[in-house]
Amino acid sequence: MTYTILGRCARTGRLGIGIATFSITVGRYCYGVKAMTGVTVSQAFAHERNNQLALRLLAQGFSAGAVLQRLMGNDRHASYRQIGVIDRDGTAVAYSGPGTRGWSGHVVGENHVAFGNGLVGPEVAEAIAAGFLAEPAADLEHRLLCAIEAGRDAGGQGTRDRHKPERSAALRVYSHHPYADIDLRVDLHATAVEELRRVWTEYKKYETYYRDRERNPKGAIGQEAFMATLRAAEA
Amino acid sequence: MTYSIIGRCARTGRLGLGITTFSLAVGGRCEGVAANVGICKTQAFPNRTNDPLAIGLLAQGHLPVRVMAMLAANDSEHDYRQIAIMDREGRIAAHTGSGTRGWSGHRIDGDCVAFGNGLVGPQVLAGLIAGFSARPDEALEHRLMRALEGGRDAGGQGDATGHRPERSAAIKVVDRVDYPEIDVRVDVHATAVEELRRVLEEFKAYEEFYRQRGRDPARAIPQDLFAKQLEARRAGRPS
Repeated sequence: MTYTILGRCARTGRLGIGIATFSITVGRYCYGVKAMTGVTVSQAFAHERNNQLALRLLAQGFSAGAVLQRLMGNDRHASYRQIGVIDRDGTAVAYSGPGTRGWSGHVVGENHVAFGNGLVGPEVAEAIAAGFLAEPAADLEHRLLCAIEAGRDAGGQGTRDRHKPERSAALRVYSHHPYADIDLRVDLHATAVEELRRVWTEYKKYETYYRDRERNPKGAIGQEAFMATLRAAEA
Repeated sequence: MTYSIIGRCARTGRLGLGITTFSLAVGGRCEGVAANVGICKTQAFPNRTNDPLAIGLLAQGHLPVRVMAMLAANDSEHDYRQIAIMDREGRIAAHTGSGTRGWSGHRIDGDCVAFGNGLVGPQVLAGLIAGFSARPDEALEHRLMRALEGGRDAGGQGDATGHRPERSAAIKVVDRVDYPEIDVRVDVHATAVEELRRVLEEFKAYEEFYRQRGRDPARAIPQDLFAKQLEARRAGRPS
């Protein structure tokens, strides 16, 4: 039980992942994204070594489709995996193995993969893709978060008579640095998608402050002084 | 305002980082943790390129003390950084720049280095090390957790005007595989160290289930069922 959006911003080339699931600490499965390289997630019965292998293959120049083939050829349990890959050109592919449980499937388009398993139905994957495509001019992290929220609002995980709670969620975006632009997580929570929105809203207030403080330590005000300016602005 | 510990398990060679701070989502700024290579964490006024650069230099074979010298030469604001580096053999280098604020310092002790800034005093580093050293037989993630709790209990972050809350926290442990074995986080919380303990305990209860499910999917029980069995075990009932 998981639903996920992989996305690439056509304007900037930024790459990212949005994910929510019943399992706890899902953010630890989200290392498959790298600047100028590509983005991938293996889920359902996740093969943990897939993500790093996929990134290395993408870095060597393999296209998304070739990477997916190689992952499947390297795994005797491939039919239990659900895998999405987008390469740096925006070519997107996905595979939902017959061994994955519940309603399982994907919607693939240029620059995005919306996919999940243990979902109430195909409307969840469709809603995720629609959520991603709704505001193409917006920042990638905003589009990924909106996609996950749309998946939740379309019913999310479970069956039509029994919803399964999202207990963890994560959001990661890379641009051209060797570290993430955005890397936010909710590891254990009763309503992880709502909590991810709260974490995002809080973090966004500080994002520029944190960046400037690193680049210009001499001129940086203390964090508590910064928070006072935030409160004043909100009042 | 941050306190951290980098530690190595002498038995297994596993390496890990435990960190907590007033800033939000600190676990999203901990990319300098690499299996079979080492760990570098830059804090106070961090330089985000330091940690990936340091991992690359360690992977090339440079010693931590040399890596630190190269980081210093690469950064006009090195005096504002606090940095600790450990390689896979447990060699350590640490730096606390004069521009970091509040009480600030580091202490190397055997298989660990404790470092922090904006702290109530050196007793916080002593608390981190005492926590790490208390149960050397335990798994590294538990020792890192005890270290953070030791730092918190020694007063943690703050100054004469009062304590500053820990709002985010993280533990990462690497072993042989090329992704972190343990990777737990709290991004925005009023008492992040306590919350990290809760997340870690819960993750440890699922860890083996998650690993086996990936390795042998055909025989995996559904997670609902696993969760119910876990609940029954905790209630002391037969499942």
